[in-house]
Amino acid sequence: MSGATAAPGYALERRGTTRDLGDYVVGAGFAAGTPAFALADGSLHLATGEAWPRVEAHDGGLLAFASAGRFFVTGGEDGRLARVTPEGEATELARLGRGWVEHVATHADDRGRVVVAAGMGKAVHVVDGEGRALKTLEHPSSVGGVCFDARGKRIAVAHYNGASLWFVAAKTDSPRRLEWKGSHIGIALSPDGDCVVTAMQENALHGWRLSEDAHMRMSGYPSKTRSMSFTRNGKWLATSGAESVVLWPFFGGGPTGKAPTELAGGDNVLCTQVAAHTQTDMVAAGFSDGMVVLADIGSSRILPVAPPGRRPVSALAWSADGARLVFGTEDGFAAVVDFGRRD
Amino acid sequence: MAEAQTNETVPVTVLTGYLGAGKTTLLNRILSENHGRKYAVVINEFGELGVDNDLVVDTDEEVFEMNNGCVCCTVRGDLIRILGGLLRRRGRFDGIIIETTGLANPAPVAQTFFVDEDVKAKTRLDAIVTVVDAKHLPQRLADSHEAADQIAFADVIVLNKTDLVTPDELAAVEARIREINRFATIHRAERGGVPIAELLDRGAFDLDRVLAARPDFLEDDSHEHNEDVSSMSFEVERPLDPEKFNAWISGLLATKGQDLLRTKGILAYANEDRRFAFQAVHMIADGGFIGPWKDGDPRRSRIVFIGRDLNRPQLRRGFESCQAT
Ligand SMILES: [Zn+2]
Ligand SMILES: [Zn+2]
Repeated sequence: MSGATAAPGYALERRGTTRDLGDYVVGAGFAAGTPAFALADGSLHLATGEAWPRVEAHDGGLLAFASAGRFFVTGGEDGRLARVTPEGEATELARLGRGWVEHVATHADDRGRVVVAAGMGKAVHVVDGEGRALKTLEHPSSVGGVCFDARGKRIAVAHYNGASLWFVAAKTDSPRRLEWKGSHIGIALSPDGDCVVTAMQENALHGWRLSEDAHMRMSGYPSKTRSMSFTRNGKWLATSGAESVVLWPFFGGGPTGKAPTELAGGDNVLCTQVAAHTQTDMVAAGFSDGMVVLADIGSSRILPVAPPGRRPVSALAWSADGARLVFGTEDGFAAVVDFGRRD
Repeated sequence: MAEAQTNETVPVTVLTGYLGAGKTTLLNRILSENHGRKYAVVINEFGELGVDNDLVVDTDEEVFEMNNGCVCCTVRGDLIRILGGLLRRRGRFDGIIIETTGLANPAPVAQTFFVDEDVKAKTRLDAIVTVVDAKHLPQRLADSHEAADQIAFADVIVLNKTDLVTPDELAAVEARIREINRFATIHRAERGGVPIAELLDRGAFDLDRVLAARPDFLEDDSHEHNEDVSSMSFEVERPLDPEKFNAWISGLLATKGQDLLRTKGILAYANEDRRFAFQAVHMIADGGFIGPWKDGDPRRSRIVFIGRDLNRPQLRRGFESCQAT
């Protein structure tokens, strides 16, 4: 147990529950209100009770993690998709073949129906919540990122020389191809589904506004953007990869030709993870020195959450109600911060 | 390339060579012999390996061009992803071996280690090891570009199947290798039987070997137009002016980069106690200070070029003109 070292003023001190899990935190999130941390060693740790239960999800490394609302989905070096319930039951969701499952995205509808998209090599395998194969989407080159739109109707996939947009329910599979030369290593869709944004190998973002068939170019990063998150109303895109939280305005004609807003800037410390709040115009951000902050976009006020002095923050997520924040670091520090708890 | 990089980074060995040269046999030996070190291996043909190892990763070589519009500026996208995944759990292995397909051009692999910031921060290219078949090499060199490129890129060459040729043929093939690359270490072998320690964790890419290479004092400066790969080195006595060197080398790489397969240098800058290490693959370059010059060692700058159509007098004059006045 650690975390007692937090200096006064950090939310972690008063509102945090922490553990040292001992390995790289690949992802963190909530299912049915239970927080969990997925580690690179193949295990999932459920943040319940005094001794957080450890669940073995993969034989070999774990590469990808997502919450599907009522359970968690992970992808591993063993070529499998695993499903882990908040009660700690792990089952094989699908066996996709030999190769690494490097990307997992999920969508759960109001009735709890789940669709999972898993990137392995050049393919994205789409399965339902019981692991039944729905379809396999092939791409011209390896998949660099996968995401669903807010309604779960479309899947956006980043790859070399652009991105592909697929309809989940389409009878015949032909994607809308979005072209831009270079290697695209991450992807995000705006909440209204009109803007596709990819992160590129060359420390820049590229975007397509679908309704206008227009390109957007967002550059100036000192390193690669690994994490992108639209605010709930789609006004801002929060991004990692700079020495501050870089927020691009997706209103008033932006982001093209507009300067981004930068929050929580410092020297020589890169922002590594961002997560927009689920209810308000706030964004949580993790940095390469382990620091975590909460930034209010409107007022530019910064609430310190966790102090520096650790390895880079590698995972960050909000609970659906926006009351709790989870984060993890490259060396296995894991924390649940409860902003709703009364002191 | 910074000093801080030494122990933090994971050594990577690139294993190249034609199908049938003995690459797979060598890889199997590395994985099965009890040498006390554990390696993660990135390969292209899963079925070839007889060894069961949970650290073997199968990949398809995916080469992409960088956004500068130049055909020689290419990197391996699959490696960037795979190394990123492996390095999250670096405690599992002591080093990484990357096997390339028989016909692969080694440049994209090598360039990946200069271009990608994450790969650069967490790994170091220890050596490029090329396995060649003593009997078939002359034919390979005659019918493809890649055979010469693989030798040109090598820090270490395993000259395999020496039992299948006569002593005269062996001497001839070794001389042919030396024409292409005078700076690589050559190990003769029969069935890939080279001590593993001679191949891995050599620090061959750390450029110290450049200092050991004999400069071309005695060779004449006649220039012939030549598509064959050759290698040459130059040495200057007076310290270099960093600005002059940067201006010269950037201009050279920009104009001649496609022909320059590898460039390596250890440089003595004026008013600087540390050695500056420089290296490039085609036009993609990297440089940084490494340890200080040893007391008593002459502070001479040396540079090595391996490539096609090298213009010896022009390169010599260019390097000499970088000396501080
Ligand atoms: Zn080039
Ligand atoms: Zn010429």
